[in-house]
Amino acid sequence: MLSEVVASIIAFSIGSNNTSNAFGVSVGCGVLSFRSALILIGVFVTLGSLTQRKVMETVGSIAHLNGELVLIVLVVSAVMIVLANVKKLPVSSHQAIIGSIVGAGVATGSARFGILASIVLSWVLSPAGALLLAILIYSALEKVVSELPVFSVERLLYLMLILSGVLVAYNTGANELAAALAPVVSAGMLPPLEATLIGSASLFAGAALLGGRVVETVGKGITNLDPLSGFSAQLSAGITVLLFTFLGMPVSTTYCLVGGIVGVGLLKGVRAVRVNLIKRIVSMWVVAPLLAFSASYLLTIALTVWT
Amino acid sequence: MRLFRRLSFGRTEKEVIELFREHLNTVKMACEVFLIALETDDKGLFNQVCELEKTGDRLRREIALKLYGGAFLPAMRGTLYKLAETVDEILDMLEDTAIDYLRLNLHLEEDIREMCVRVAKINVKMSNDLIEAFNALRSGDSLENRTVKIRAREREIDVLRNRIYEKLVRRNVDSYWEGKILSDFIDHLVYVSDIIEDAADLIQILNVSLR
Repeated sequence: MLSEVVASIIAFSIGSNNTSNAFGVSVGCGVLSFRSALILIGVFVTLGSLTQRKVMETVGSIAHLNGELVLIVLVVSAVMIVLANVKKLPVSSHQAIIGSIVGAGVATGSARFGILASIVLSWVLSPAGALLLAILIYSALEKVVSELPVFSVERLLYLMLILSGVLVAYNTGANELAAALAPVVSAGMLPPLEATLIGSASLFAGAALLGGRVVETVGKGITNLDPLSGFSAQLSAGITVLLFTFLGMPVSTTYCLVGGIVGVGLLKGVRAVRVNLIKRIVSMWVVAPLLAFSASYLLTIALTVWT
Repeated sequence: MRLFRRLSFGRTEKEVIELFREHLNTVKMACEVFLIALETDDKGLFNQVCELEKTGDRLRREIALKLYGGAFLPAMRGTLYKLAETVDEILDMLEDTAIDYLRLNLHLEEDIREMCVRVAKINVKMSNDLIEAFNALRSGDSLENRTVKIRAREREIDVLRNRIYEKLVRRNVDSYWEGKILSDFIDHLVYVSDIIEDAADLIQILNVSLR
């Protein structure tokens, strides 16, 4: 029961943070009201989690976990995610969850390193893929919009904004939520459908209760990005995460979004990219899973010794 | 629901564009009425210019309410509102010029009147060019020709302004206030073209704002 509660807390936390990934720009822009964004989040997150199970299966097969180990994995992940939120550090829920699963798996000797290697590879490839895709999308869009009247460009960008937001919401259910629920489902503590519905409801609650605050921050923070660049970055991130979801790989929307923004920044000249911010993000990308791994490994060893 | 209203392919945006067309047509009408008033020395028509200014205020308010109610992406919203304000400023300036004329309460010398009428005629042409520039913005046609034409006409008015002042400095006035109001009248009349040029510049900025 405790594990299900902690999994719900993680889903709640994903909801409060990822609402901004999906609709932060739209709400910040005044294109969508927060209520409309919430409805879209609720519908597409649930749709994503119900229609895609591959990520859940991949994450669930990293290591064999029993009830106590699932609790350790989820508590470590939840603490890391909450601390990262408090400290405003760019930590993906995937890194915390997968790092702690591997920690528990290594401690009990059940970790499958082949799957882990493919996940780590996807963590490297997904931001790089989003970067390249953002360059392609931006270049193509630039050509298209140069031929259109400005009011038609505005309509096109508006529709793209909604489309990319919906895509990110779908990915949140199909990838991020799936990864959070995987330990509970793989340990047989909840059937997949029930876990998905509870997870979606918790995520929706997180989005409804705390998402507005985060959306406001992101919406205000991103206004300096010109619309074409912002939409290219968001769409490239959405498409990349969707492709990796089809491959069953748990990848972070935030990191793909960073890849997309860097891609557009590179097109406009290296000076446009904030190198210090990228360094901070990359360092967390390495440190976060290692911290989760260490904490989970030590707690699992302690549990083994104690029992 | 707002989302579905927005997905009905920009009904609010279309309304804003229609309001802009109405606003620009009001400017054209005010320029035309002003010209006839100046040509015929018809005080009633000058009052009509003041009425058109009130219509302009209403249209600017309606545009502002729709823009800040969520019409268009924010990247365009600020410039669109600035355009509405600038178009409204044209009407304000025409109203000020009309009031100056009514305050003058004297007959302008024929040669000065003739040059003022020429300025007012160019203002009418520029207001028409501004409508064409806005239509080009909507249709995606080249804006270049329209804005170049507006700039050329504005320079023409600057030349006329200098000629008017050459005449004015040789003219005697009965009081400080007569001289001031006469000078204000000329300044306001020629300043209309400067504001029309500013509005044309904003249309050009809008054209590149999302590219």
